[in-house]
Amino acid sequence: MSKIICSAAIRGAHKIVGMAEEKYEEALKKWGPDQKIGFPNTTYYLPIIYGMLGIPVDTLGDVRQILDKCKELVPPPVSDNVWLPYLAPALEAGMATYFAEEIIEAILYLEQPDFYTKAEDTLPDNIWLGAADDVIMRKRGVEFVDGSAPGFAAILGAAPSNEIAAKIAIELQEKNLYVFMCADHEGKTMSEQLVEEGIQIGWPTRLVSFGPSYRAAVFAIGFATRVAMSFGGVKPGDFKGNLHYNKDRVFAFAMPLGTVTDEWYANAAGAINWGFPTIADTPIPEVLPTGICTYEHVVSNVPHDKIVARAVEVRGLKVSITKVDIPMSYGPAFEGERIRKDDLYFECGGGRTMGVELTISKDMSEVEDGKIEMIGPDLDQIKEGDKLPFAMLIEVAGRQMQSDFEPILERQIHHLVNYVQGIMHIGQRNIMWIRVGKAAVEKGFLLKHIGTAMHAKYHQDFGGIVDKVQVKIYTDEEKVKEVLELSKKVYKTRDERVEGMTDETEETYYSCTLCQSFAPSHVCIITPERVGMCGAYNWLDCKASFEINPTGPNQPIIKGECTEPVLGQWKGITDFVNKASRQKVEQISAYSLINFPMTACGCFECIATILPMCNGIMVINRDSRGMTPCGMKFTTLAGMVGGGNQTPGFLGVSKHYICSKKFLLAEGGLKRVVWLPKMLKEELAERMKPICEEMGIPNFADMIADDTIGTTEEEILPFLEEKGHPALTMDPLM
Amino acid sequence: MSFEVPKVSYAGKIRKTPLGQEGNTVTVGGESCYPFHLFEGEMPCPPRIAMEVYDSEPEDWPDTALEPFADVIKDPAAWARKCIDTYGAEMIAFQLAGTDPNDKNITADEAAEITKKVSDAVDVPMIVLGCGNVDKDTDVLKAICEVCEGKNLIIGPVVEGNYRAIGATAIGYNHTVVASTPIDINLAKQLNILLGNLNVPDEKIIIDPSTGALGYGLEYCYSVMERIRMAALVQEDERLQFPILANLAREVWKTKEVKVLESEAPLLGDVKKRGILMEALTAQCVLLAGADILVMRHPEAISLVKESIKDLMTGN
Amino acid sequence: MGLSGIEIFKKLPKTNCGKCGVPTCLAFAMKLAAGQAELNACPDIPDDVKEELGEASAPPVRTVVIGTGDRAVKLGGETVLFRHEKRFESPPAFTLLLSDNMDESEITARLKKFNDTVYERVGVVLRAELVAIKAVSGDASKFGALVEKVCNETDAGLVLMNEDVDALSQAARSCSSRKPLLYAAGKDNFESMGNLAKELSCPLSVKGSNLEELSEISEKLIAMGLKDLVLDSGARTSKQVFEDQIIIRRSALLKKFKPFGFPTIVFPCEMADNLMKETMRACQMTAKYGGVIVMSEIKGHSVFPLLLASMNIFTDPQRPMAVDQKIYEIGAADESSPVLITGNFSLTYFIVSGEIDASRVPSYLLIKDTEGLSVLTAWAAGKFAADTVATFVKKSGIEEKVKHRKLVIPGYLATISGELEEELPDWEILIGPREASHLPAYLKQWSA
Repeated sequence: MSKIICSAAIRGAHKIVGMAEEKYEEALKKWGPDQKIGFPNTTYYLPIIYGMLGIPVDTLGDVRQILDKCKELVPPPVSDNVWLPYLAPALEAGMATYFAEEIIEAILYLEQPDFYTKAEDTLPDNIWLGAADDVIMRKRGVEFVDGSAPGFAAILGAAPSNEIAAKIAIELQEKNLYVFMCADHEGKTMSEQLVEEGIQIGWPTRLVSFGPSYRAAVFAIGFATRVAMSFGGVKPGDFKGNLHYNKDRVFAFAMPLGTVTDEWYANAAGAINWGFPTIADTPIPEVLPTGICTYEHVVSNVPHDKIVARAVEVRGLKVSITKVDIPMSYGPAFEGERIRKDDLYFECGGGRTMGVELTISKDMSEVEDGKIEMIGPDLDQIKEGDKLPFAMLIEVAGRQMQSDFEPILERQIHHLVNYVQGIMHIGQRNIMWIRVGKAAVEKGFLLKHIGTAMHAKYHQDFGGIVDKVQVKIYTDEEKVKEVLELSKKVYKTRDERVEGMTDETEETYYSCTLCQSFAPSHVCIITPERVGMCGAYNWLDCKASFEINPTGPNQPIIKGECTEPVLGQWKGITDFVNKASRQKVEQISAYSLINFPMTACGCFECIATILPMCNGIMVINRDSRGMTPCGMKFTTLAGMVGGGNQTPGFLGVSKHYICSKKFLLAEGGLKRVVWLPKMLKEELAERMKPICEEMGIPNFADMIADDTIGTTEEEILPFLEEKGHPALTMDPLM
Repeated sequence: MSFEVPKVSYAGKIRKTPLGQEGNTVTVGGESCYPFHLFEGEMPCPPRIAMEVYDSEPEDWPDTALEPFADVIKDPAAWARKCIDTYGAEMIAFQLAGTDPNDKNITADEAAEITKKVSDAVDVPMIVLGCGNVDKDTDVLKAICEVCEGKNLIIGPVVEGNYRAIGATAIGYNHTVVASTPIDINLAKQLNILLGNLNVPDEKIIIDPSTGALGYGLEYCYSVMERIRMAALVQEDERLQFPILANLAREVWKTKEVKVLESEAPLLGDVKKRGILMEALTAQCVLLAGADILVMRHPEAISLVKESIKDLMTGN
Repeated sequence: MGLSGIEIFKKLPKTNCGKCGVPTCLAFAMKLAAGQAELNACPDIPDDVKEELGEASAPPVRTVVIGTGDRAVKLGGETVLFRHEKRFESPPAFTLLLSDNMDESEITARLKKFNDTVYERVGVVLRAELVAIKAVSGDASKFGALVEKVCNETDAGLVLMNEDVDALSQAARSCSSRKPLLYAAGKDNFESMGNLAKELSCPLSVKGSNLEELSEISEKLIAMGLKDLVLDSGARTSKQVFEDQIIIRRSALLKKFKPFGFPTIVFPCEMADNLMKETMRACQMTAKYGGVIVMSEIKGHSVFPLLLASMNIFTDPQRPMAVDQKIYEIGAADESSPVLITGNFSLTYFIVSGEIDASRVPSYLLIKDTEGLSVLTAWAAGKFAADTVATFVKKSGIEEKVKHRKLVIPGYLATISGELEEELPDWEILIGPREASHLPAYLKQWSA
């Protein structure tokens, strides 16, 4: 931590504790030790002291021990010639500051009972609200927990002008944050600035004028401390629990506007204990590395027009958007709409014009959340039937965002755009196709609104990984070409990334227990080279799903030591499966259908099984209705192997996995496959090619029998012999 | 071959959960064996039945269900009192069906007022169940928590979409929550984890893994409850060691089979006795699957079930 | 856990001769492993292998058949303790008790009721299956006469209850071709009972005064060569029956304890003084392992809920129940009634039809075959795709029943609306609510 900040904070703490000492002595003389003190209508005494130390300060006499505690906490002033790294001492100084300030404020309530209004609203002659009573705290505090108000900004001082003060306040309000105001800068307070601007302040508008002094900051911190005790079930004295609770749940930060005095530093240092960082408009030293706070601790010199956005980012506050603000209705009910020729106003992509859509991730500093840009003419500038090229470039940034998640986000564009009433979206990437109906245009729909919808939905559905979203929509031909070029590069990198990913290169695999509702002991293990048997979840999907829903069905598993490389068994996987199947499955192999094959849920795309006479394996897909050489149709097979059971000789597989290098490695891989339904063989033909070539049998696909050759082993065996299928000479399957 | 009783060794135990206020507490849970497997474990707190009371006059009930309450149907507090005084209810389950935006859309404040009135009238633990609309329930249940502070109501359904708001409010005003999930053991577990993360104390959680009526998906609920109990007791899954609530009456009494008259379907027999048995048998099944609290309606069905519990516990 | 299909397969002849009724040895092995086939179906297994496999593949609870022909009732065959682990195989046989001291007209009436009380639900016939005839009078001729009467008036399977072996023998001989269950071999008469059952090849019930005694008698009967036994532990209280049933099932499954490897018989009729209470007990036994459940009376109001309970508990948890693909008329639907469509998962059907019914808006409900999948799953699996839906709608005959052309599809399937409109150009596709419970509100404001 910056030495300047530490020294200042410690200096500030000394001053404040000293002041508390003085006030206490005076008060003691005046009222004696039995005099009751405290904040109005609360059962939490002096809440910070009560929450942190578990000591109920009820009388003046109780104050003594707290002051002693303060003195213990405040470290000696930092001398100029000694270097010390000072996070811990500064934090302790900050804590002592709050204890001392609570004492001072409590004595103020004693001395001047009407100093604060003690109500939800300001009075004509008094705008200072002081400590919130329990009724206010409970009514408002729960909003911090349920997310309807994610947290608060504790503003110290005043903005350079009333207009800026108003702008900051409104911007914070728009983020549903409470604004807790205290302290003055050169004699001016933010609360007064807002009043002068004619802005209604008080609890109901979430603009809370706690008090004119920096000391009123304790009302903000005390509020947070009480929230943890009231709604978090945290016990008084459990300071660790309280601080953690606030760090994890209350998205608060300090925003000093104006000169940061020693006293302010002391308060800011105190706030860091609660995980509340400081975002300042003045060039004070920064404390960037994470530690106590989720991200940075002190960020400074932020321009006033960026300060709210920056604060939100530093505190890790998630933007919540409840409504997709476009002139059309929006929702899944419109997903399947078709726009017919007669209703068509405008279309792009789909081979008619150039069209592309792309989602890429950027650095946090490169994305301005909510910025929707339209480059080129929009629908209000063209005639019915005009054609335009189209490119949508969505740039996202997030603390948890990884470039691996780009394709997953991009895949959502299809249904998210389709949710717009009067719009039809087909395809993806550079084969996308959009049609806009006349009715939509009549209602004022613009292409720009697609960006608005994407911004809102990315935040709503992927808030776990996305913090900022900006969208650029191009209808300018040159620009579209640029995006198209960019997209080609991006797709290439992505494809290479997926191809380059192998089970060996990754240490973490993922589980999927989504199907346990009907297959109680089923645990799907998803590796880079083994897509889930339903075909719907690949490794990257699972990775993203875990980030978005950390307690959900896709959990990361450190695979651990590999015990059977050919069968595909790892220690970590074995342990996990055992536990997640509730001890029903003791061992599974990722690459075998004979030895401990994976359990099957029921949603598998295909089933693989053995054909003993042919010494090979057949695979049948769900859509094949006919008889197969194993003597069972798909439905019969599905009945035999589903339900979360391990059935040696039978395995649920996805189509994708059939063309994986890890496909049934233990049995010899694709080379073992002697029969596929014709439709499946044709579907897989392209993807099988490289594998066949690698096997050294480029025409291997032609050696695989299908339902036009036969549906019994007796029928297909001569074919396999004639073709010289390699399975016939491989080691016996059983 | 000599015969030997094969016993299950249970590693886990269901949490003992006290409901209601001091002076009229009912404790549920505490099982250390599968339901009624008393030859190898204990059920210190036998399952309990909560009698339904509605926030407004029901419109679509068959006569069978209406008849016992005909005199109090317009007055929830009197209704609750009748359940206790005449039918010996051990708990009340106050159903806020009228708050549904698709129904009467009673406001949160009104609902809180009615609930307060009923809760003041009863001296047994009270369950308060919202209409199932996630957002409306949030408003309604938060308001109720506030006005009924300290009564330790059992409020629900708390679902993934509103667990934060209701869970935190329940902590703040000292109530117990009913964590509801749609027939899935993992979702049930997940919600319990989330509530734990929110710091809802474990002894303030009841789980409701959803209930269907006899003939209407009962088997799914039956199996999910059995699996939850198995996970909790044998597989040491701590996040499932909670008492189970089965909100079954409203499911049973909306089915066709409790309504159709004997004159229309002679083979189905007497409509009243049939309705009572439909409810009682649904209850019997979920009891055997692991339910600790049954939300029921008809007094005669309730006495059949009470008797059945007694017989299974004490051996008649 | 028995042998896996592959392990069984290794011991089969691997000829794929098809004589067993399935095309390949592998398929046969899988059926054996699942307990869905009899080893004897394969004529080519050597005896030693047969014994080895028989031992391993025999279900731990023997399948016992009572009655013959259409009315043969299969009991037992169970392989699990909890239905979610696989499935329960044989639903209980609810049984009407008649005594030979009952009034003749009463007997006639009860038998008629028994015969008439038959339901169909989701294509499954639900009914009480057996008639138990109990000797109370002590008069062998009365007993014989009642058996004869019952034989004449119903073709249901029988349970003959008479502890007097001679009297039982006499009556049993008169109807042995109907494979009645003989009740019961106790500790004093098991030898003669056992011989009788063996001679007549009828299943035999074993009765002990407790589990210990039951196991002893059962063991002796097995030693005498009896194969088809039905167990009565003698318990006549809820708690004791519950405990005994669980111990019997567990012993068979977990310990392979042969004397308990049979279905059971229980008597709610002897455990309650009224039918309501008796039904509660029967329900308990339905869930927890009762085989033959003997009831004092079969009445619609009591047996219908019991049959539903039995159906629920005994459905295969991995294979959803399905209803037939067709038009279902709900209420007095006419040419301007709403038309709705959904999948044929039985629960979907029951809930949707129930809500439509509750709305009191007469409607046509089109149920499309989705192989028992719920709508979303069906859609994902391609079973509720626009083209197949359209084909069904056209062929269903609904176009002759209504003059409007508006089709309500499930809210969750809004995604197919556009495609469906293209496939059904005459129809307007309306998006219904996502939840069935919102159907009444939706239908009330529906207009043709």
